[in-house]
Amino acid sequence: MQSPLAIEPLFHLGPVPVTEPVVVTWGILLALGGGAFLATRHLKLVPGRGQALLEAVVSTIDSQIRDTMQVDPAPYRALIGGIFLFVLTANWVSLIPGLEPPTAHVETDAALALIVFVATIGYGIKARGLAGYLKTFAEPTWVMIPLNVVEQITRTFSLVVRLFGNIMSGVFVIGIILSLAGLLVPIPLMALDLLTGAVQAYIFAVLATVFIGAAVSEGEAPAPQAPAPPQKTEAP
Amino acid sequence: MTIDWWTLALQAINVLVLLFILSRFLFRPVVAMMAERQAAATRDLDAARAARKAAEAEQAKAKTEAAAIAAARKDKLDAAATDAEAQKKALLAAARAEVEALRKGAEAEISAARATAEREDADRASHLAVDIAARLLTRVPAEAQVFPFIGDLADGVAALPEASRTTLAAAEGPLALKAPRALTEAEADACRTKLAAVLGRPVTLAVEVVPELIAGLELDAPHAVVRNTFRADLDRILKELTRHGA
Repeated sequence: MQSPLAIEPLFHLGPVPVTEPVVVTWGILLALGGGAFLATRHLKLVPGRGQALLEAVVSTIDSQIRDTMQVDPAPYRALIGGIFLFVLTANWVSLIPGLEPPTAHVETDAALALIVFVATIGYGIKARGLAGYLKTFAEPTWVMIPLNVVEQITRTFSLVVRLFGNIMSGVFVIGIILSLAGLLVPIPLMALDLLTGAVQAYIFAVLATVFIGAAVSEGEAPAPQAPAPPQKTEAP
Repeated sequence: MTIDWWTLALQAINVLVLLFILSRFLFRPVVAMMAERQAAATRDLDAARAARKAAEAEQAKAKTEAAAIAAARKDKLDAAATDAEAQKKALLAAARAEVEALRKGAEAEISAARATAEREDADRASHLAVDIAARLLTRVPAEAQVFPFIGDLADGVAALPEASRTTLAAAEGPLALKAPRALTEAEADACRTKLAAVLGRPVTLAVEVVPELIAGLELDAPHAVVRNTFRADLDRILKELTRHGA
């Protein structure tokens, strides 16, 4: 019996197998990219409703980064905001019949976590320097070095597993109920999936912010407008 | 569970591409527009602040001008008040001078009137006194009304200037003699005797009775009059009493 988690390639580009999550991600990429391009073509000083919504989203992302990291959000806006928008969109792709969220496959979540992992290291080194970043592994004492290294890896895995488990389980539950009960019964669960998808996107983005913020903290000047102390966000 | 590493790699690339696209076409223009709006708002605020400063400067200037106008107005009012006060003082001084002049004129008129009244009173008193004296002298006994005055009449004739006395002596006819009553024979003889002695010729008398003479005799000649009567004395006294400032 084949594992339900296994994915079969839809086609091959040379030696590269292209699977459904990749294709769906391309669709998301086109939708988000095209939508962003179209939405930002005619920005005005006096915003309309759509522009106001975009600015509210960007302002909220900036505010979240500033509140969490206590630094200027500009260098991290694209990474954190992009990850949030992608995860949110990917999670909500399940609303389209016949499509599975790319985040319901571990490869996508792993790719996201890997990006966050690399970005954390990169931002840490940029903020503190290589030696300074490496020194953070010896805090509070050198005895903690193994534990800190393990923490770096495990929290990346926790990002993968949390997102993958929540989204994959939702897809599986809806699929099972759909096969057992009928067409309209899973609708409440799909609504719940919407909430779960939004919450998971927020959690993933916030955890990425926290990880990067911890890496760059004490290495960068605080943000000029820091309205609140740093938040301690824990995953559910 | 297996992981499709190709899918993982493609998804990583996809996400990176998406991050780039979103950064390029979403976050950057939106943030740029927000920054532009903030800059415009800052410019507007600066412009408003500058306009406010200019308005405040204008207001301060207007206040200064208003203060200057008020000061000028106060100066003019003060000058006008000073002028008015000077004019008032001048008018008061003129009025006082006029009043003083009027008062002095009135006082002079009053003094003159009083002097006139006093003179009139004195005249009336003199006349009254002379009238009283005349009434009292009317009580002189009849024998004393003529005889005691005969000698004095002769002395008066003798005291006339030589020419008058010569003319009187050369005159023909009786001498006009006024007496307060008809002369007795003795009194007439005494008169003729005394006058003849003085004039050096016999004398006849034409006696005229004039009771107003009270007592005494009065000799009337064409060129001389010798009065020796109480009436003449009283007239002389009255004349002296009523002579003012002479």
